[in-house]
Parts: sequence; structure tokens; C-alpha cells
Amino acid sequence: MTRLSGGLIDRNRPLKFTFNGTAYSGFAGDTLASALLANGVQLMGRSFKYHRPRGVFSAGSEEPNALVELREGARQEPNTRATVAELYDGLSARSQNHVGPLHRDLLAVNDLFSPFFAAGFYYKTFMWPRAFWEKLYEPLIRNAAGLGRLSMLPDPDSYDKGFLHCDLLVIGAGPAGLAAALTAGRAGARVILGDEDFHLGGRLLMESDLLDGAPAEAWVATVKAELESLPNVRIMTRTTVFGVYDHGIFGAVERVSDHLPEPGSTVRQTLWRITAKRSVLAAGATERHIPFADNDRPGIMLAGAMRAYANRWAASPVRQGNDAIAIFTNGDDGHRTARDLLAKGANLLGVIDTRKGAAAQGDYKVFDGAMVTGTKGRLGLRAIEITRDGQSSWHDAGALGVAGGWNPNVHLSSHHRGRPVWDEARLAFVPGQNGPAGMIPAGAAAGQGGTAQALASGAAGAIAALAEIGITAHPIALPTAKDASADQEAFWHVPGKRRAWVDFQNDVTVKDIKLAHQENMRPVEHLKRWTTLGMATDQGKTANVSALAVMAELTGKSLPETGTTIFRPPYTGVSLGVLGGGDTGKGFRPERLTPTHHWAKARGAEFVEVGPWMRAQYFPQAGERTWRETVDREVLAVRAGVGLCDVTTLGKIDVQGADAGEFLNRIYANMMGTLKVGMVRYGLMLREDGHLYDDGTCARLAEDHYVVTTTTANAGAVYRNMEFAHQCLWPDLDVQLISTTDAWAQIAVAGPKSRELLSRIVDGFDLSNEAFPFMACANLTVCGGLRARLFRISFSGELAYEIAVPARYGAALMERLMTRGQDLGATPYGTEALGVLRIEKGHAAGAELNGQTTAQMLGLGRMVSQKKDSIGAIMSRREGLAQEKRRLVGLKSLAPQTMAVSGAHLFEQGATRSMETDQGWVTSACYSPHLQGYIALAYLENGDARMGETLVAANPLEGTEVPVEVVSAHFIDPEGGRLRD
Amino acid sequence: MTDLSPITALGDAAPRQTSFGALTIQENAGLGLASLYLRKGQTAPAPFGMRLPEVSGAVQAGDYGAFWTGPGQWMIELPNRAEADVAALVLAEATEASVSEQTHGFVAFEITSKAGADPLEALLSKLIDIDTAALGPGRVVRTGLEHMTVFVIRRAEDRLAVLGMRSFAGALWHALETTCQRLESKT
Repeated sequence: MTRLSGGLIDRNRPLKFTFNGTAYSGFAGDTLASALLANGVQLMGRSFKYHRPRGVFSAGSEEPNALVELREGARQEPNTRATVAELYDGLSARSQNHVGPLHRDLLAVNDLFSPFFAAGFYYKTFMWPRAFWEKLYEPLIRNAAGLGRLSMLPDPDSYDKGFLHCDLLVIGAGPAGLAAALTAGRAGARVILGDEDFHLGGRLLMESDLLDGAPAEAWVATVKAELESLPNVRIMTRTTVFGVYDHGIFGAVERVSDHLPEPGSTVRQTLWRITAKRSVLAAGATERHIPFADNDRPGIMLAGAMRAYANRWAASPVRQGNDAIAIFTNGDDGHRTARDLLAKGANLLGVIDTRKGAAAQGDYKVFDGAMVTGTKGRLGLRAIEITRDGQSSWHDAGALGVAGGWNPNVHLSSHHRGRPVWDEARLAFVPGQNGPAGMIPAGAAAGQGGTAQALASGAAGAIAALAEIGITAHPIALPTAKDASADQEAFWHVPGKRRAWVDFQNDVTVKDIKLAHQENMRPVEHLKRWTTLGMATDQGKTANVSALAVMAELTGKSLPETGTTIFRPPYTGVSLGVLGGGDTGKGFRPERLTPTHHWAKARGAEFVEVGPWMRAQYFPQAGERTWRETVDREVLAVRAGVGLCDVTTLGKIDVQGADAGEFLNRIYANMMGTLKVGMVRYGLMLREDGHLYDDGTCARLAEDHYVVTTTTANAGAVYRNMEFAHQCLWPDLDVQLISTTDAWAQIAVAGPKSRELLSRIVDGFDLSNEAFPFMACANLTVCGGLRARLFRISFSGELAYEIAVPARYGAALMERLMTRGQDLGATPYGTEALGVLRIEKGHAAGAELNGQTTAQMLGLGRMVSQKKDSIGAIMSRREGLAQEKRRLVGLKSLAPQTMAVSGAHLFEQGATRSMETDQGWVTSACYSPHLQGYIALAYLENGDARMGETLVAANPLEGTEVPVEVVSAHFIDPEGGRLRD
Repeated sequence: MTDLSPITALGDAAPRQTSFGALTIQENAGLGLASLYLRKGQTAPAPFGMRLPEVSGAVQAGDYGAFWTGPGQWMIELPNRAEADVAALVLAEATEASVSEQTHGFVAFEITSKAGADPLEALLSKLIDIDTAALGPGRVVRTGLEHMTVFVIRRAEDRLAVLGMRSFAGALWHALETTCQRLESKT
């Protein structure tokens, strides 16, 4: 054990856990990384490409090395950073990316072949022979790629989403964030304080510095208590604000139960969409390292992380208590770690400081003007080589802390393409002025990393942010604190011939950057893609700036001239489960049910999705072996007797007002203003470009009252377009629009016996052909006083009606019609039979109105009225559209058992299959039980003049061809006598 | 009087009700609704003596209610009058306006809290992207909830109504139930 004294762990709450099957124990307040370190475990994983042994490198979400598979079974999650995985009793973790045991990874052989695996090797290596790519190279690469394994089991957990609104979002609860939240909270502003950690305090918890003469956690506890007492402040720990989006919207993930063995009855994570009027970015800073030869051994970590483990988690970085610890630094911050470690009783080898003349800041040895130039230790650091004035010496060391300066966490400030700017004094990129609107960076994120600086800048940031939205906040009393010295020199990497890692996760070394430079991959975006620097789960948080510095040195340019790194959301990885944001399965996509849905379900109907609607597709009966048998029966029942179909899904739009007729004249291609009250007319709607986009019926219930019926698919679009036309094109018209689709249950009653059936339920209404002819409509009552609307319209080509009643009575009406129509053969039919019936009749549907077709093609060109203007009318007459020669025709299959499928293209017999010889295409096809053969509708060049011709319907995708005869599209009753009788 | 039996939007014979902790969801199957839309140039009427509310407002007066749905547009509420010809009743009060029957076009879920505003606002923050501070009593919003369009009416500190399209009733009930359940298990 290498557990130290002190720390913010609860030693009264020991926790058991396993790593690679070995049992360990830690304490509440530990992370997996701190608990492993405290158990003397340095080796935690393997690197991506070379399978080098790796240990924990950081103490936060920037971790590139210590990635583990957390939990078991379906909850197993790869690439979990041990540094932020909160320890719980029973936690189980495994290292990843190795074959065989972690300490004897068979794929470590890759390291021996590293000269062949230099940056960009795969762009060159796998080019020849070409045939090997698909069968050999790609599978090999795919097998090697990726870190960790998925369980391949469904995620058993639930996720949630939510929406929050505030005046000020404070991102990060370190000194700057706490000062900002307290300042704003006391001012009465609505504040959300978010932090990815489970404790408030941020870096304050990791340092030994005092606030008001007391440990910092005392001040943190006081502030926390006050913030919790303020009803206008919401504290969100375990919450990562991962992205900034438009209009002050932030994405945040709250890890609700990731710190528990299982979520139990609650959700695992919640995705919050936070709308904030202003924000303070107090996300702190990430320490950078200094690349040197063999700098990736377990035991080598960031010096600030080493300090954090010692101070907050009481964990030493060495495997055994007496092992020596060294610090390699280019500034005073490394000495800070040395002092804290000494205070914890560590065996300190000394501080290797690149600055000439650097002095000790405590009782330890300083190697000034020196560098670390090599290391030893296969599975963990054993020794380091220190070079000073050209003289090298080896020293035993069990851990090495590296301090290369701090990079402000500018990530969120660059999410709106805000470019960080180089601060030469601080040797760091700081947020620029062009970041997300309303965001004020503060504290270490703004380069104000001293404790006093951070406190002051956080408070000032809140005051400034609130002032912009008219809230006056006053300065608060901040605790006395001092700023640690940030003195450092610009020292970016140790020169040498051996490999020095810059990006640990992707195994990108200084050599790789040199190679990129040599290959002219010098712009920073090329460098990234060529070397994979900055990719993968850590997104190069510990690597990017160091890599830029190396490239700057190679190009001889300054660092800002070389480039800047721009960050995209998310700040850290976000699981797809939580982005889904809530329900899964059926609940993921809400369904619309028709008024007769439950009735149909009880009768064993099969349903089909039509947009969000679930429509009855067909109603199987006992003894029917295939869906076709069912559909054939339903179709024949309609043609012979009477069928019932729920057509509620068709859009219904109430159009009222003195100018309703004029308005509809402009919406429809044909005239609607002349429609008589009590009548219905079929109408076509054109897009602005002259193509067809919807069709349906329009009924006139009163002089100033129409009901427009749309197709199911376009109900929303037609209503939206009509609203647009009303509000934006013709606001002068007196028109009122409102959707009534859901209000009325509408049932198609179709077949020669439909009049007889309806006559049994209407309340004294004359249904005779004279009183209620084809295309009539009326308000009436049915079944003893129920309000209803009746339309005499037909999609099937038979004598038919559609009857509408208040939706809550839809199921009852359907049942009543079935009961009363038993002797007439009343049969419910679904969308399949509906489709067959309309194809037999030659009526168009969505397949014929696919956005590329015109009224002329349907043979309805004359419906586009010349007497008035309407949307799309002029454009429909333009050259190209006016000369369109394809026309809707019917096709009869000449191969008895074969159907020409929808989408098949038409060719003359013997013609080559090419665009030039293409004659048209099949839009809809079915088996017609009436004709006892396969039929189809198609658009055909000069179709009107080609009746009787034999063509081939070719389906090159499946290599099939069907001979077809061109016939009229009206297979049934071409004169239309049935529907008018 | 028809001898046909209606069903609720959820497909049941009787309205559904359920409770989770402090929250109760009750299907309001008796709510009569009609849309009232002013004709061009018409001044707002006062149906049933109500002064029609301004933008985003909702009023209740005795047995009647109204909420704003758009410029010159309101929905008139007649509780317990679902079986009546609501459009005719409203038209009689606003003879110049365009009125459409909407009773059967919507499902209404009334949600009440036994513990004041907090549980309701916690629920709202999980359902809709609206600043709850702007949705106090007497306010209404038309917004998206799990991809569905709804009206949310804050009837009182501890009461609100969610009105959704009738065909989405099952999905809306599921969304409300699931969210309430999760809130209950968290508290």
C-alpha cells in the first residue's frame, strides 16, 4: 500500500473493488485511479498502436492512458477513464487493448516493429497489391483498431433528458466558479453551477494552499452550504457541460447513478439542455508535459496530478512506499509538487529544472539546467537518466512528475469557432474575444490560474455577465489567498533520437511530428490527420499544444503562426444512450392511433406504419394462409358488397372566412370558389415549381366554410403551406385555418351496398341519387342524434361514401356499421386492399405524386385552371414541363405469375437498357383479384397513344424482366358509372 | 341522444388516472373545446362573459375557460360538456367569428401536485423546453413534448393541463407516466 496521510477520502467507509480480477480496497471519495495508485498499481493499460505499458497520467478527464472497461455484462463500458470513475463497493474494472495478460501483452510485439508503424504508415503500406485491401488489409486494420470491447448486449439502463433555464451558467466549480456562483447567487440571479466532479472545489481540493488561513475545503464547504440555501441556485455535480450551441444553449450530461453499482429504479444519466442568458467559463486548466525519451512508462505522470493524488486522495504514485520520486519541470509549478510531496513524507530524489540557476524551494535537491533524457523499467519506472551540461547519470526512481506549464481549458470558448489567442507571457493559448456570445472566461480557463486571481476573476466575471442582462451584482468578500509563482521558461521537449511521446493515447511521438513536417503535412489540421494526434477519447487534451510547439520549432515559426487548436463538442465523450435522451423502443417515436385502432386490434388486424400513424393493413381471418388471400377477400368484398375502412388519417383542414373561396382558388390548381355549397370537388395542389405535391377533396359546407382533405403523408405540409400562404403571401384575405384531423373519425363505406348500409344508420336523411348525388356532402345525424358529416366520394371506384363522426364515437360507429351490415357482407378492409382498389380504378396516390410528376402526366392537365392564378400554375406551363410526354397508363402483366414491381423501368422489346431507350417507370403494382392477374400503373412516354403495345418492365437491381401490355389506367368501370349510380 | 358509446382518447370506457408521489395525472375526457378565430377586422368578443386573454394567457371564469393559441385565436374550454355541440355553443357567443369543433381533436391530462409548485416544475423541466418562471398560473404555451405538439396550461401553482392531439393520447400518456415515475424514484 502506498496510501498517505490526510486527503479527502472517508477512511470510515472502505470499499472493495477488483481490477483485472484482483481484489483491492479503497475508500469513499476515491476514484478508481487513486485507489489503484494507493494499492501500488502503476500499470493500468496498454497504448493503442505499440501496446506500450501505460499507467495513469493525469487526475482528471484529460486522461490519455488509464482507460478501462468498467462493470460487467451488459453494463460493461469501454474507454472509461479511471481518473474520473468514482469508486463504489463492488466496482469491477479490466484493462484493455491487450492480448493475454496486461503485463505480458502478446501484441507488444508491435513495439518492436515500430519503425514500420510511423505516422501515416497505413497510407503507404497497404497500397499494394490492390486486391489485398478488401480481403486482408481492411479486416486486419479493423481488428486492430479501437480501444476496449463492447458487451454486444442491449444497454439495460434508462436515460433521461431535461431542460433548464437560467440567468447565469457557471461551468466549473473551482475557485473561479464558486466565486462567480456565490456573487451571482447573492445578487438574486438564477444560477446553475455545473461541475464534472462529485465534489465542489475543483483545483482547491488538490492543493495544500490555505484560504483565510484554513484548508481550502473549509471555505468550499461554507460556500456550498450558502449556495444550497439559495433557492435561485442549482448545483449540479457529476455534470459535464460538454458543448455550447446556438442561442445560449448548452449541452450537459449529469451522471445520475454512475457512482452506484446499479442505477436501480432511477436513470443512469440525464441529458440537460440548458438555456443560459450568460455564462462564466471556469473550467480550469490542464497541465502539459515535456516530451523526452521513453517518457511513457507507468509511474511517469503530470506533476500537478501527482500533487492532486497526494493532497486530495492521499495516494502516492510509487509502487512501494520507499521508491524515490523525481520531478521534471520547466518552471516553479514543479517545485510546488515537490514541496507538497515532501510534506507528505515522500522520498524525493529531487527536482530536475530546465532553468539554469533554478533554486530549491524546500529541503530537496535541484538539478538546475538539467533534463530527463531517458528512463528504464518495462512495466513501471525504475530509473531515470538526468543530463546536465552534457553529463548524464542514471538515478533510481519509482515515479516521475512532469510539469511543463498549464493550458487553459479553452475548449468551450472555441465551440462557436472562437479562436484562442497566444499569450506569450503565460506561454499558453487563452480564450479569444470571438467565442460564444455571452460567455466570460474566468480563472485558470482565462489564464488567471493563481488562487487569488481565480477567485477575483470569477467574481468579476459574474458581475460583468449579469450587468449585461440588467442584474446588478456586488463584489463579495473573497477569502485571502496567494497566487503560487507561475514562473516558467519556454521549454517544450527534450531533443534526442529516441522516441519521445507527445500524444500518449495515439502513440504519436516527436519523431512522428518530424516525419509529418518532412512529408509537408505542416498545417495543424494536416498534422492532426496524418499522425492521428489529438484524436480518440482524450482529444489530445494533454498533447495538442506541445505538438504545436514541436512543429513550430521545426518550421522556425512562432507557435501562434504555426496554428491554433480549435475544439468541437463534446468536451468529453458522451454516450449515445444519453443523447437518445429518454425512451427506447416504441416510446422513442410516438405513435398516432386511429379512432378504430383498438377495435381493429381486437379483430386481429395487422398494422403498418404510415408516418407516425399506425393503420390497419389487413384483417386476417381464420384459414387464410397468406396476406394476399386476406387482401383479395377484402377487395372482392368491397366490389361485391360493402367494405369499411378507417380513413381518419387523411388531413382535414377547416377553412373559414369571407375570402375562403378565393384563398382556395389560389391554393388549388383548379377552381374551388365556384364549388356549390353541399358539394365536394377533387383538387390538385402544385408546388411553386409547377409539380404536383398533393391531391384530395375539398368540401363546401357553407358559403364561408370549406373542409380541405389532404393525403395522410402531406397533412402537416399542406396545413403549414396554407398557413404560410395565408400569413405571408395574402394576409389581406379574410381566411381562418385550423386543423381538425383528429377531431373527426372518418370511415370509408365503399361498395354497391354502401347506400343500403348507410340508410340503416342515418336519421331520416335522404340518400337517394337525386337527393345526395355523387360528390355531395352534408351535415346530418346518425344513430339517433350523433352529429356527423357525410361525403359521397370514392377512392375505390365503387358507389362509396365517407362518414365522419366525433372521434370518440369512431369505434362505436364502425362496430355499428359492421353489425347492421352483416347481411350485406360488410367487411373491414385495410390499406393493402385500399391500394389494390385504387390501382384497379387508376386513382393516383403518393407513388404517382412523388414530387417529380405533373398534372399533365396524370392526364389532368386541364385541371390547372387558365382562368385564375394559383401556386405553381405559371411554372407548370414552362418549357420542359409543358412538353412533358409521359402519361399515366395501366399495365397488365403478360407473364401470369409475375408482377412488374414498382420502380421497374419500361423499355421496348429488344431495346438496350439505357437512359436513352428508357420509356418510363412503374409507379404502383398489385395483384388484382378482380382481373385475376398482376396489374400496374406507370408513367409512359406518349402513353395515351400506346394502348395495346407490349413493353418490358425491367428491374435491373434484381435482374428480372416482365412483359407487359399497355392498357387504360382505369381497369375498373372506366366510364365511372358505378360511383355515380 | 345517440345510443352509441364513446371511448376515451386512450381507448377506454372511463378516463384514466394515476399518481406518483405528489403528482396525479387525470385524463379529462369531459372537456369541451372549440377554436375561436377572429374574422378580419373583428374585435374580440367576450364569450360566456370572459375577456379573452392576451398572448400566452389563459383565463378561467366559472364553468368556462379560454387560452390564447395565436394572433386573434383562442381555444374555448367548456369543462364537462364534451357531449354537447361545443362549436355551436361557442358560435352563439361569438357569432361573427370562425369557430371549429375541437373537443374530439384533443386529449387533456390534468396534472395536480399535493406539494405545491416544485414537483410540477420539476416535471415540466423534464417535459418541455420552457422557462418555468415564464409559465406561472394563467399562462399557456404551445410547444413540443417528445416530438408531439401540446398545449401546456398552468391552471394554478399546483395544477396544469397538457393538451395533446387525440391520436397521440397513448404516447403522451406514456411520456407523462414515465417521467413522473422517474421523478418519483429519484426523490
